[in-house]
Amino acid sequence: MVEKKAAAAAEASVLLRRRLCDSAFIFAPLRSSPDGNYSKLKFLISNSITEACNNSVLILGPRGSGKNAVLELVLEDLRGEYQDMISVVRLNGLLHGDDNYGMKEIARQLCLEHGLLFSKIASSDDNSRFLIDMLRECGLAHKTVIFVLDEFDLFTQGKQRLLYGLLDAMQSLVSQSVVIGVSCRLDADQLLEKRVRSRFSHRKLLFVPPSVEDLQRLVERILYLPADFSSPCDFVTEFNSKLGKIFVDKKFKDVLGSVSNVDGSISNLLRFLFRVVSSLDLESGLLSLDNFKTASLSIHRHPKMENIRNASILELYLLVCMHRLEVKEQNSYNFNSIMKEYKAIHDAYKSSDCRGGNACLRAFEHLLERELISFTDTRRGGLSIEYRPVKLLVSPHELHQGLKSYPSCPVILQKLLNHETYK
Amino acid sequence: MAETPCKSKLKSLRGKPSPSTPVPATPQPLTPRRSPRLASGGSIQQQTPQKRDAEADGSDRCGTPRSAKKSRRSIGGAFDSSPGNCAFSPGSPDPPESRRGGRRKAEERHNVPRATKKRVYYKKVVYDDGQFEVGDDVYVRRREDAESDADDPEVEDCRICFNSGKSIMIECDDCLGGFHLKCLNPPLKEVPEGDWICTFCEARKLGKIVVPPKPPEGKRIRRTFKEKLLSSDLWAARIEGLWKEPDGSYWAKVRWYMIPEETAVGRQPHNLRRELYCTTEMDTVELESVLRHCYVMNPKEFVKADNEGDDVFLCEYEYDVQWHSFKRLAEIDGYDNDEDDTDEEWKFSKDDDDSTDGDSEYEKESSRGPAYKHQMRQVAANSCKGRIFGLQKVGIKKIPEHVRCHKQTELEKAKTMLLLATLPKSLPCRTKEMEEITIFIKNAISEENCLGRCLYIHGVPGTGKTMTVHTVMRNLRSEVDSGLLGPYCLVEINGLKLSTPETIYRAIYEALTGHRVGWRKALHLLNERFCEGKTVGKEDRRPCVLLIDELDLLVTRNQSVLYNILDWPTKLHSRLIVIGIANTMDLPDKLLPRISSRMGIQRLCFGPYNYQQLQEIISCRLRGVNVFEEQAVEFASRKVAAISGDARRALEICRRAAELADYRQKQLPQSMVESLHLNDRNFLIGINDVEAAIQEMFQAPHIQVIKSCPRLSKIFMVAMVHEVYRTGICEITFEKLAAAASRLCASNGEEFPGWDILFKVGCKLGECRIILCEEGGKHRLQKMQLNFPSDDVAFALKDCPEIPWLAKYL
Repeated sequence: MVEKKAAAAAEASVLLRRRLCDSAFIFAPLRSSPDGNYSKLKFLISNSITEACNNSVLILGPRGSGKNAVLELVLEDLRGEYQDMISVVRLNGLLHGDDNYGMKEIARQLCLEHGLLFSKIASSDDNSRFLIDMLRECGLAHKTVIFVLDEFDLFTQGKQRLLYGLLDAMQSLVSQSVVIGVSCRLDADQLLEKRVRSRFSHRKLLFVPPSVEDLQRLVERILYLPADFSSPCDFVTEFNSKLGKIFVDKKFKDVLGSVSNVDGSISNLLRFLFRVVSSLDLESGLLSLDNFKTASLSIHRHPKMENIRNASILELYLLVCMHRLEVKEQNSYNFNSIMKEYKAIHDAYKSSDCRGGNACLRAFEHLLERELISFTDTRRGGLSIEYRPVKLLVSPHELHQGLKSYPSCPVILQKLLNHETYK
Repeated sequence: MAETPCKSKLKSLRGKPSPSTPVPATPQPLTPRRSPRLASGGSIQQQTPQKRDAEADGSDRCGTPRSAKKSRRSIGGAFDSSPGNCAFSPGSPDPPESRRGGRRKAEERHNVPRATKKRVYYKKVVYDDGQFEVGDDVYVRRREDAESDADDPEVEDCRICFNSGKSIMIECDDCLGGFHLKCLNPPLKEVPEGDWICTFCEARKLGKIVVPPKPPEGKRIRRTFKEKLLSSDLWAARIEGLWKEPDGSYWAKVRWYMIPEETAVGRQPHNLRRELYCTTEMDTVELESVLRHCYVMNPKEFVKADNEGDDVFLCEYEYDVQWHSFKRLAEIDGYDNDEDDTDEEWKFSKDDDDSTDGDSEYEKESSRGPAYKHQMRQVAANSCKGRIFGLQKVGIKKIPEHVRCHKQTELEKAKTMLLLATLPKSLPCRTKEMEEITIFIKNAISEENCLGRCLYIHGVPGTGKTMTVHTVMRNLRSEVDSGLLGPYCLVEINGLKLSTPETIYRAIYEALTGHRVGWRKALHLLNERFCEGKTVGKEDRRPCVLLIDELDLLVTRNQSVLYNILDWPTKLHSRLIVIGIANTMDLPDKLLPRISSRMGIQRLCFGPYNYQQLQEIISCRLRGVNVFEEQAVEFASRKVAAISGDARRALEICRRAAELADYRQKQLPQSMVESLHLNDRNFLIGINDVEAAIQEMFQAPHIQVIKSCPRLSKIFMVAMVHEVYRTGICEITFEKLAAAASRLCASNGEEFPGWDILFKVGCKLGECRIILCEEGGKHRLQKMQLNFPSDDVAFALKDCPEIPWLAKYL
């Protein structure tokens, strides 16, 4: 019986994880809402398929708000609806930001799609002419070419020849194509050069993070097991009733709130839920509130604080010295001046654990590696480490917090810090 | 009997579709056509076939050419084959398997060198009383055992009384049968508007079995050519070339038409009865087998056609026999004449047997089946030559139904009219500029030595600069055609489409001569041509108008490209006129003095449109489509005029508004739409839609994003605004911001999440460019700044329901 239950739990966690990775499942309910971005985008694209016109649209929204997922969903559905009438060319600003290379990539993908032979050595001139011819031929064959430009903002660097070429090719009646720019920069259309902007259709679709209620609904939809789940059905009811209890709990709402307060995007939520599902206890096979709590803690890490907590005593000494120097309004300091301060502290307080220069240098380097401190200018590589000016990257407040939570912090260090800060 | 020409694609013919097969209901035809058939004129022409027959017999005596085709096939290359081939039984249909396009073509090629010496090409041939021209559509004999030519009536008989007679007949839109008006039951007085379907078809559609009236004893139903064609007993083809062989026989190169049944997908539900497909297949046939004219038209002509009688067909698509794919025939529009001309030339050079070896090789190869594909010379589609070669593959396997059967609603018509690509019938509001350009070009061309002619056109984007010049060029072109103006050539170059400024030489040279050379070489050759007046051939003496769009892109560091181009017109023999188009008014003044002195003399400014002009432009396009409220158009044009005066913007706003209205309408339940249509036929696009479109176009979306961003981001931004107000400096480091945020949190009972999380929030905001910030590595020293006015943040967050205390700090 126990084994059976464990197997069911394992199966459940597999199912949940699969759901979490399947963006089609996550965004499927968008299909039904009439004023959602899904139906707007679909209307726009299918319009230019059926009415044989050109369009350009920008999809904007913060990262993780499901721009690409929805776009893929739309394209997938349209492919089913209009078989053989759509060819999609995908470009990414990170890869194809260069105009010539972008043109070449467009030609390559078009060739691939239509089974034509592609030549790597064709000049960009040839490629752009090929694009125009191809758009014409595709238009005559009632085929719509959809250009998806991911990271659209990166295409706007330089002379924007690629965008101009695309948008200008769309000014002909025979071609039917859609240019879809996807960007997380809200001012992406302002980056266009005036000629390009004039040719752009200026349709915008904005993706905003969902409200907390929507998020909760989404969580419920993802986590509830389906009734026809292939295991003893009392497991499903047990699992679901436990979840139902959790969902109405005030504490759960707090946890979900703390997640969405930082980043309310869907992708963040999915990451959170993935951790929850991963920490599912296979013994009981049920999710508990603790799962949610630990997952919430684990996605909200405090890297600087943890770094301070993991530093050695000597490193803490150095940090405190640097802080003291800053308080003394000595704005530029390097390793040597820090050492001087370090010596001065030891002289003043007569402490016994004074280290030599080499050990301090080692500690200094560790701090650099952990990015608790950094050089103020990176260009002058000629100087040796000791003489290059450095800056403290943690604030006094964080340092204070860190020392407080440090398990065996020497009292003198806290005293030094407090003394100087609140003098 | 004449040798039957055959199409190499007989294999795709799957049996003879019987004409009586119930065809699916004709969908809403694109072109409601009603052809009142006149019985007149039939009698004279009816004699021609017989006469033709007689003559055919006569020419049969004179020997070989009839069988030439056959013999060429069997012997391979020999034209003057032995008469023994005549043993080929004239009655049998051609064995289709022996006709493979590739082989025959290859053989023809063999013949070319020998034959060309004496071949005489014609544009027009009078043959058997018929006059055939290149470009004509004709019926071509397909099989020998068909009914003899003698009973090919020009006018078909009435399906009821089986006489033709003189009275008006009406055609059923389904079975294409002809009926006398008076024979119908009940008789019709006149030809009705719209579609008409005969009683037999109607009954058949309802599932009844009807027995069409039998012809009277002793009289067969005579089938017209049209019917024979549609039941694949005849072929239709377009004549692409005519010539006389040395032995006196006439031959034609024809491009075949195909009936829908013969395609790979068969007849599609949206096919009209009289629809044909133009194929990519060409063959040579003897003129003997050409029967008479038919008329294959594009949809536009098809709607208007009513006098051509029975032999009218519609052809909208090209069918690729090899790939079984369809493609729309390019519409030959008055607008892209240039393109079509080059197309035409190219076609000729490709189809002519006399063309260069390379080309005919292409043809040969492409006409072979896929089996030969690997032997094909590897030509990439995106390289220069392959462009011609590869693209025929692009095509659709099946013509989508929505294209043919969908009737455009008013809204959709409006959207099409508002497309940027749609060229308006007239170009309002730019008459003055057009005149000026016309005068400039005319003067420049007509002068013997057009010295130093440069025109600089400037204006903000979307004010119709390029379009105006194009319109002028079109007008001038028609003048050239009518002989009022001497010929000139036009070279058009867009600066933004050149990869480097220097490639312009190459582009110019290629446009002038058709040769591709490197840019240095091109520069040299162009210098020779323009400075020293060296020309090759007569063509080169024509004046050349060089139109450079986006001229500012040609500015290099030492500005030599611009200098060269602008210097040529000043040379004595150049006969070059340069028209430069750019956005900035002071481009010539920013350049070196020697350039500005050459360019800056004659300038033409295209000012931004004011709102009346924009309104006129829009309503000019929308003439006849009544979907926009008057105020809506005015509102849109006023808005755009106030911002940029960019006509493209105005059109896009209106199109977007139409789209929004369309979306709204399509979301409505069906019953609502119907009632709407009943009450008020026009679903008008109101000012609200335009407003929404303007909002979408001009309003930055940041306010909406700020409103819906997570709680901590809101606190972050409020802290930032607060701090900016407090210090008066708009730049702020993360350290100060975090301190401020923690103070805000502390005094309002909010839990402060810690620096690291706050830092993450800041980076997220920076990603969206709501704030501008340095890279994250600097942590507490990272400088940040709001990307939008702080009032926007205040506006967005003033009454935030979740965190009411934010309002205190704004």
